[in-house]
Amino acid sequence: MVFFRKNLGDFFKENLLGFGALFILIFLGNLNQWIMSETSGIFLKNLLWHLIGLTIFIFITFFTDYRKIPFKMIWYAYLFLIFVLFVMCLFKKRWLHLGPISIQPSEFLKPILLLLISSLIASEPDYSLNTKLLLKIFVIIAVPLMLILPTDLDYAFIMGVMFFSFLLFIGIPRKILIILSILGVIFCLIVVPVGWKRLKPHQRGRIYGYLHPEKYAKTWGYQLNQALIAIGYGGIYGHGFKKGWSTRLNYLPAKHTDLAFAVWAETWGLIGVSLFLVIYGYLLLFGIQISSTAKDWMGKYLSLGITLVFLWQLIFNVGGCSGLLPMTSIPLPFLSYGGSITISSYFLLSLLFNIGLKRYFFK
Amino acid sequence: MKNHFFLIKNLTKTRQRILKAYFWEKRLFWAKVIVIAFLFILWARMFYLQVIKYSYYYKKAKERSVVTYVIKAPRGQIITSDGVIVATNRAVFQLYVDAQVIKGREEEILYKLSRLLNESLGTLKERYYLAKRRSFGRILLKKDLKWDEVAKIMVRLYYLPGVIVEVESQRYYPYKKAYFHLIGYVSRITKEEYNKLKNEGYSMEDFIGRRGIERVFEKYLKGKNGIIEIERDAYGRLGKIVRRINPIPGKDLILTIDHSLQMKAFSLLKNKRGAIVALSPVDGSILAMVSSPSVDPQKFIEGFTRREWRRIVRGKSKPLVNRALTCYPPGSTYKVITALAGLTSGVIKGVNQVFYCQGYFKYKSRIFRCWKVTGHGWVNLIKALAVSCDVYFYNVATQLDIDYLAKISREFGLGEKALRWVEEDKGLVPDRAWKKKKFKQIWYPGETIITSIGQGYLLVTPLQIARVYMAIANGGYLYKPYVVKAVMDLKGKRIEFKPVLERKIDINPRYLKWIRKGLREVVVSGTGKEAFVPGLLVAGKTGTAQVVSSRSEKAKFLEHHAWFVSYAGKDKPEIVTAIFIEHGGHGGTAAAPLAKELYKFYFGITDEESE
Repeated sequence: MVFFRKNLGDFFKENLLGFGALFILIFLGNLNQWIMSETSGIFLKNLLWHLIGLTIFIFITFFTDYRKIPFKMIWYAYLFLIFVLFVMCLFKKRWLHLGPISIQPSEFLKPILLLLISSLIASEPDYSLNTKLLLKIFVIIAVPLMLILPTDLDYAFIMGVMFFSFLLFIGIPRKILIILSILGVIFCLIVVPVGWKRLKPHQRGRIYGYLHPEKYAKTWGYQLNQALIAIGYGGIYGHGFKKGWSTRLNYLPAKHTDLAFAVWAETWGLIGVSLFLVIYGYLLLFGIQISSTAKDWMGKYLSLGITLVFLWQLIFNVGGCSGLLPMTSIPLPFLSYGGSITISSYFLLSLLFNIGLKRYFFK
Repeated sequence: MKNHFFLIKNLTKTRQRILKAYFWEKRLFWAKVIVIAFLFILWARMFYLQVIKYSYYYKKAKERSVVTYVIKAPRGQIITSDGVIVATNRAVFQLYVDAQVIKGREEEILYKLSRLLNESLGTLKERYYLAKRRSFGRILLKKDLKWDEVAKIMVRLYYLPGVIVEVESQRYYPYKKAYFHLIGYVSRITKEEYNKLKNEGYSMEDFIGRRGIERVFEKYLKGKNGIIEIERDAYGRLGKIVRRINPIPGKDLILTIDHSLQMKAFSLLKNKRGAIVALSPVDGSILAMVSSPSVDPQKFIEGFTRREWRRIVRGKSKPLVNRALTCYPPGSTYKVITALAGLTSGVIKGVNQVFYCQGYFKYKSRIFRCWKVTGHGWVNLIKALAVSCDVYFYNVATQLDIDYLAKISREFGLGEKALRWVEEDKGLVPDRAWKKKKFKQIWYPGETIITSIGQGYLLVTPLQIARVYMAIANGGYLYKPYVVKAVMDLKGKRIEFKPVLERKIDINPRYLKWIRKGLREVVVSGTGKEAFVPGLLVAGKTGTAQVVSSRSEKAKFLEHHAWFVSYAGKDKPEIVTAIFIEHGGHGGTAAAPLAKELYKFYFGITDEESE
C-alpha cells in the first residue's frame, strides 16, 4: 500500500498537466451547454452524463489495469457489438432506444476496436505488420463499418479514416501501402461517379451545401451558413455568456451537438477558440507523450489510437462547422452533448490515463 | 554451440526490439507534427472567419437576426401669415401584413381579414398580390382604418400573425382645393427616387413633396426618420429592442399668404378657369395665389379612383396646371411696358403728344385694327392707356426697336421664372435673336406692332405681370416674389427669409407719374370702370388677349383671355393683383369685377359704406 501511494504521487506529478487539461475541457464543455441551457433544457442531462462518465473514468483509471483486460472479453464484446449493429442494420436504425435513454452503439465501436487491434498486435515483434495480420485487422475493422454504412455514412467514413491512420502509424509494409493506394485510387474512380448517383438527396445536399453555403443558404447550406455566421460574428472577443444572437435566437440547428463549437466560437470569439484548441491540443500531445513513455506495446499502441480518435473527431467537427470539410454529424468531445459520445470519450480517456498510471506498476 | 546460438537468437530479437522502438519514436514525432499542423490549420481558419471576415459576417448576422423598422418623422406644418394651418398631419391607422410571416397561409389570413373588414376576398387578394410585386417587406393592405375596424382587428390579433396595425402620421390638407396649386401635395416615393435619395435618409415608405411649396421646401418640411431595431429569432418572433433612434420632425413653414384673401380669391374663381395672384408691393411677398379649377390634394394620398384620375388627366379643364405660373399672351396689360419703352427711348416725347385713331392703322400694305372699330379720335398717352387705344401704340411701335422693347420687358422680369419653381413657365419675350434661332427668319416690323399691344409671340404668366405692376406701383423696386416668410422648428427657433430686391429699375419719376395717372384713368373712366371702388385708390389695366387656335377654322370659337392687373391702396399702393380668366371674354367685364370684389374684401369696404 505504501508502494502504491508513493507511485500514485509520482503519477500525479507526471500527469498533473494532463489532468488539468482534461478537467478544464470538461468544465468548458459544461459551460458551453450552460450557454445554450436557456433554449434547450439539456444542460442538466449533460451534467448527469458527465458525472456517470467521471465515475467510470475514476474507476477505470485508478482501480483497473489495461494489461489485465482478458483478450476473450474484448473479443466477446466485439462480437456482441457486431450482433447489435447487424440487428440495427436490418431495421435501418442508428439509435438504440432503451426507455428514457438513447444509445448510439457505433460510438462504442471506437474503444472496442482500439483495444482489439492493440492487443492483437502488441505481441508482434516486427516494426511493421505482416500481411496475414494486416488482412485479419482489415476484416475486423471492415465488418462493423460495413454494418454502419447504410445507416450512418459519415460515421463509417470517419471511423475508416481514424483506423486507417492508426494502422499507418502501427506500420503497414511499404509494398502493401503502395498497392493499397493504387487500389484506393481505382476504387475512388469507380465508386465516386456510381456512388454519387446512389447517395440520398440529403447526403448529396451536404456536398452542395459545403461547396456553396450561401447559395443554398435556405436549403442544404442552412446549417453551414448559420454556423459560419455564428463563428464569424463572434469576432475576436466574442459576444459573452448567453449574448450571441445565433445561440439565443435559435438560428443554429443542432447547436448542442454538431454545432456546439459554433456556439462556443460565437460566445467567446477567437480568444475562446484559441483557448479551447490549445488545451485540446495539449491533451493530444499528452496522449502522444504517454504513448512514448508507456512500458509495453499494447499501451503504446492504445494511447496513440486514442489520441488519433480525438484528433479526427476534432478535425471533422470543427472543420465541418467552419466550412473546411463537408458537414458531418460527428459530435465534438467535451463541447457537444451526447450520452454515448460522453461515455465512450470518458472510457477512452480513462484508458489513456490508466496507461500513464501503470507505467509505475509491473505486472 | 548452444550458447552461441542463444546469443545470436537473442541478438536478432534485441535488434528487432530496438528497431521497433526506434521507429515508434520516429512515428510519434510525426504524430506530434501532424497534431500541431492540423490544429494550426483549424486555428487559422477560425482566425480567417473571426478576424478577417468579421465585418462581413457581422453584417450577415445583423441582417438575419435584427429587423429594422423606420419610424417616420412627421412632416412640418404649413401655416399662413395669419396663423391658419393649411397643411398638417393627422394620425391614421394603416393595416399592414408582413408577407414573409404569412407566407403559405395567405388564403387563411386574407379570408379572416376580409370578414373583419367587410370586403370581398377577391379585392383583398388582388390588392395584396399587386402590392407584393411592387414592395418588399410589409405590404399596405388598407389605408385609414376606421375605429371599429381597428378594434375588431386588435382584439383578434393573436389569431392573425403577420398582421400589423400601425399608427402613422399622414399629410392632411384642411382647405383642400383652395391651396392645391400653391402648396402642392405629397405622394409615395418611387423606386427610382428612392435609389437616388436613400443616402439622404429617405425610406421606402416615405412620402415626398410634389409641386409647389411641398416640393421646393422639401428639405425643411421633411424631418429625419427614426429607426427601431428589434431582434428576430429563427421562427420570425420579435424579441427585445436593440436600438431606437427617435425621429426628428420636419420644420414648420410660415407663409406670406393671407388666408382669408386666398379663400376669397378661390371663391371668386369658382366655376371659372383662371388664376389670381396678389402681391404686396412693399416687399414682393405673395398674399394670395389661386388657380382654378383645382384638385383636392388629399386625394393624392388617399388615392384616386380610375375614373377620377382619367378625368383629371385627360379632361379639358386641366386642373393640375397652376395657371398663375403658366404663360399666356398678356394682351393690353403689356401696354405699360410699350409706353415706358416709348417714353424712355424718346418716341413718346411727352404726355401731350397725340396720335389720331380712326379705328385702324395702316402700316405699309397691312392694316392693323384698333379694338374699337369707330376709333378713338385724337389720343394722348393717358387716354391711350385709359381707353386702351391700340392705334396709339401701333404708332409708337413703328418707331420702336424690338430689341429695345425686349430689353425693357426683361428689365421688368418678363421672360424669367419669378419663383423658380419647376412647374413655373418662363414666359417668352421675343426679339430678333430669338426669332432667328427659333424660325431662322428675320424680324418683321409688323411683328413689333402686334407685340406692342401684347399679342404675337409674347407670353407672360399672371405672376410676372403682377410683378411688373408691382414695380410701377412702388416706384421701380422689382422684388423677387416669395411665399415662405420663415421656417420654424419645434423649439420655436425661426429662420426668417428676408425679401430679396432683385433690381431697382431706373424710371424717370415723371414717366412713372404719367403711367400711374393713365392706369388710374382706366378705373375711373376707361375700360376698367367695373373695378372702381369708392374711397379706394385703384389703378390698373384691362387686357383682352386674342386666342389664336391652331385649328381655328374647325374648333369652335375661342373666347379671348380676360386680364385685369391692378394695384390698390388707401393712399399708397398696398396690394397688387393680377386676375386672369382663361377664355373669359373682355377683361373689363370678366376680370375687373373680380378685382373690385377682392379689394372690397381686402380693405374691408362693405356695400353700405359705398352707397
